[in-house]
Amino acid sequence: MSDIALTPQELEASTIRERPENYLNEKLSLASWLLTTDHKRIALLYFASITVFFFIGGAAAALMRFNLLTPDGAIVSPETYNRLFTMHGVVMVWFFLVPAVPVTLGNFMIPLMIGARDLAFPKINLMSWYLFMIGGVISTWALFMGGLDTGWTFYTPLSSAYARGYVVPVAVGIFISGFSSIATGLNFMVTIHRLRAPGMTWYRMPVFLWSLYATSVIYVLATPVLAMTLLLLAFETIFRIGVFDPTLGGDPVLFQHLFWFYSHPAVYIMILPGMGVVSEIIPVFSRRQIFGYKFVVWCSVSIAVISFFVWGHHMFVAGTSLYSAIIFSLLSFLVSIPSAIKVFNWIGTLHKGFIRFDAPMIYALGFVGLFTMGGLTGLFLASLASDVALHDTYFVVAHFHYIMVGGMVSAFFGGLHYWWPKITGRMYPEMWGRVAAAMIFFGFNLTFFPQFILGFLGMPRRYSVYPPEFQVLNVLSSAGATILAVAYLMPLFYLGWSLFWGQRAPANPWGATGLEWQTQSPPRTENFTSTPVVTEAPYNYPPPEAIQREKVESGEHV
Amino acid sequence: MSEAHVHFQYDSAAHQEATALDGMWLFLATEVLFFGALFLTWLVSRHFHPQGFAEAARHTELLIGSINTAVLVTSSFVFSCGLGFIERGDARSMIRACFVTALLGLAFITLKGVEWTKDFSDHLVPGPGFAIAGADSGGAQIFFCFYFVATVLHAVHMLVGLGLIAWLVQRARRGAFSAASHAPVEVVGLYWSFVDVVWLVLYPLIYLVGRPG
Amino acid sequence: MRQVVRPLLPVWLGLLALFAVELGTAFLPLGHAFAGLILLPAAAMVGLVGFGFMRLGRYGAIARCFALAAVFWLLVLLGLGSMDPFTRTEYPVRVTTYP
Repeated sequence: MSDIALTPQELEASTIRERPENYLNEKLSLASWLLTTDHKRIALLYFASITVFFFIGGAAAALMRFNLLTPDGAIVSPETYNRLFTMHGVVMVWFFLVPAVPVTLGNFMIPLMIGARDLAFPKINLMSWYLFMIGGVISTWALFMGGLDTGWTFYTPLSSAYARGYVVPVAVGIFISGFSSIATGLNFMVTIHRLRAPGMTWYRMPVFLWSLYATSVIYVLATPVLAMTLLLLAFETIFRIGVFDPTLGGDPVLFQHLFWFYSHPAVYIMILPGMGVVSEIIPVFSRRQIFGYKFVVWCSVSIAVISFFVWGHHMFVAGTSLYSAIIFSLLSFLVSIPSAIKVFNWIGTLHKGFIRFDAPMIYALGFVGLFTMGGLTGLFLASLASDVALHDTYFVVAHFHYIMVGGMVSAFFGGLHYWWPKITGRMYPEMWGRVAAAMIFFGFNLTFFPQFILGFLGMPRRYSVYPPEFQVLNVLSSAGATILAVAYLMPLFYLGWSLFWGQRAPANPWGATGLEWQTQSPPRTENFTSTPVVTEAPYNYPPPEAIQREKVESGEHV
Repeated sequence: MSEAHVHFQYDSAAHQEATALDGMWLFLATEVLFFGALFLTWLVSRHFHPQGFAEAARHTELLIGSINTAVLVTSSFVFSCGLGFIERGDARSMIRACFVTALLGLAFITLKGVEWTKDFSDHLVPGPGFAIAGADSGGAQIFFCFYFVATVLHAVHMLVGLGLIAWLVQRARRGAFSAASHAPVEVVGLYWSFVDVVWLVLYPLIYLVGRPG
Repeated sequence: MRQVVRPLLPVWLGLLALFAVELGTAFLPLGHAFAGLILLPAAAMVGLVGFGFMRLGRYGAIARCFALAAVFWLLVLLGLGSMDPFTRTEYPVRVTTYP
């Protein structure tokens, strides 16, 4: 990208100067943070909030795994256990995974990557953070006050007629935070359409932006359906009568249809941004142009579209008609095609690359492996016959955790490490980053691989007790969860440490292409001194021969 | 201030205004799906309870609903005229059009209130003591659950629209809009017409489809 | 005044005419199966508001794509969402009341 924001001299100066003016030190008052419309500061507000939610959800998971150490439940009653897994699901899905990458890394990077000064609607961006916080606080307050025992899926009539606890407050919190999702998606889509720098054509956009665009499509078109569904649920819970009420001849399965119309595409809200992050990291650390750029970006879009056609596979044993089950099963297989193409493209990018195992790359490679496993086991669940056997067992739990935790959380941490120098202006300690990444990979597999076997052997999910013969596998899983917990806590400490004592980061520590690396670290409030003009495709890395020659000349060990 | 304040991420006021309009269209797309969930509820529930839905539809206030349809269509027409006026720089006529639109909107909500009161006194509220008994009672109650949720949500959208129109009048009086710069008027117009569209779908679902046969 | 109102007047009158058709259809003895025909004039009215008052035709590709996406996804929701209920085998159950 030729005509960049800073000349090389300026870039050099920005790395040497003690503290160039940037978005972090321009204003320092509390109000300048809480009333900011700067997308970068709002991203940091989101970072702080979702970190808190992540550890709340994580604590609930830790208690569950602890309870499952013994067959008869080690610490909590079955009732409390029900509330714990509900809390874990609600917090992790709506207050961590759905927002995670888009509102933090996406919010920060979209304007930088397209060469704009901010998102299209900065005030709506700030409003969406407040909506998110209001929704999050209401829901978590209700969950701490005693919570509810329906699971995160709120199936009627359990939730509307039989559940004990705070169904309505939790639903209201999710309803409010849903509008935060809608506002964010709307902002992203309009920004990508309207605010691209001169020369930034669609095919010159980084893959990350395409996947965020695809995610935003789901945000804006699926979330409103969830909002209406929760309204109907709240209506029915409050008035004890409603459209899903089976005593009136209402159809509780209709609730499931509406719920999964949102919640299945929401699964892709949770994975598409992760795929985008990994598509950014892999080319940088293998010094290769991404393999099959157009395939990767159009696969993101087609995953987003197809994701709306497959929700019925959650309801194969809910008494839905056989015809619809067969059609939904076939449609579910469709979504594996673009997902698999992406995996091949990542591997194709690695092929003959000059691979460096920095922490972001370890996370990204972990993502590819874990996502592949999660995806392939998904085929068993998309298949009508095998799903009937595996439905509501730990096989399902393991499958979606491979996608969401192994996939998305790995990608979130990978992206966090990758862009950490840009966001904070500091380098994280590389050694610690690698250790944490490896521990997450190991701990994750130890936690969730035994669950595949447990599910295959028939252990149902959402039970606080189990037959004694399942104890060995459950103890293994809990042991892995301990490692995972430690590994998740580690970045909190070393990244926090680096904020104050980390080495100062240059503008482009990874030698990456992409507009965000062309401006100083951390960027100034207006991102670029002048609007950049883009003249080249993304990922324009030098050909392998040139890197080889350069490394030989500089005497570096290849 | 006749020129809208241009934020630093935009090239020009025109760029900013075009972006705002795109944003409104996308917001309306989300609203389509929001009400879409309600339409699916109607479709599925009617499939399971054809008689109950027909019976319930015959208990609705066709006259009030029909007057309201005409009122709302007219209000959209008047607001579109208001937008036409400001496009020619005629802010005073635009303000007058806003007033007429708001009056029609208020008329709609008042009539709606009258209708709800009648529904209450006719025991059309789902639950014990519901007016329609027998085999069709369950389906009819589901119909009226749908009816109340849909009409209340629509009325809430109307109230938001009235607030937006009041805000427009306030700004127009200070001379904020001109022939060259009036994106907020267009944005509010899109919203108001969309609320009209929602009613145009709800009206047959509630009052008409159950009537034949 | 006249220049502004004249192009919009046919839209308004068209809407009122379609409304009359819609209302008339509701009193034809169509029977349950054809009751959905009432939705045809309603759909025409929606289109008329969309193009007449909201001036969809005058917007660029982006706004039109958004509008098209809304309609497409609405059809996905209604189509795939009604597929199961419309083809489901119903087994009678004993109706119980809530505890």
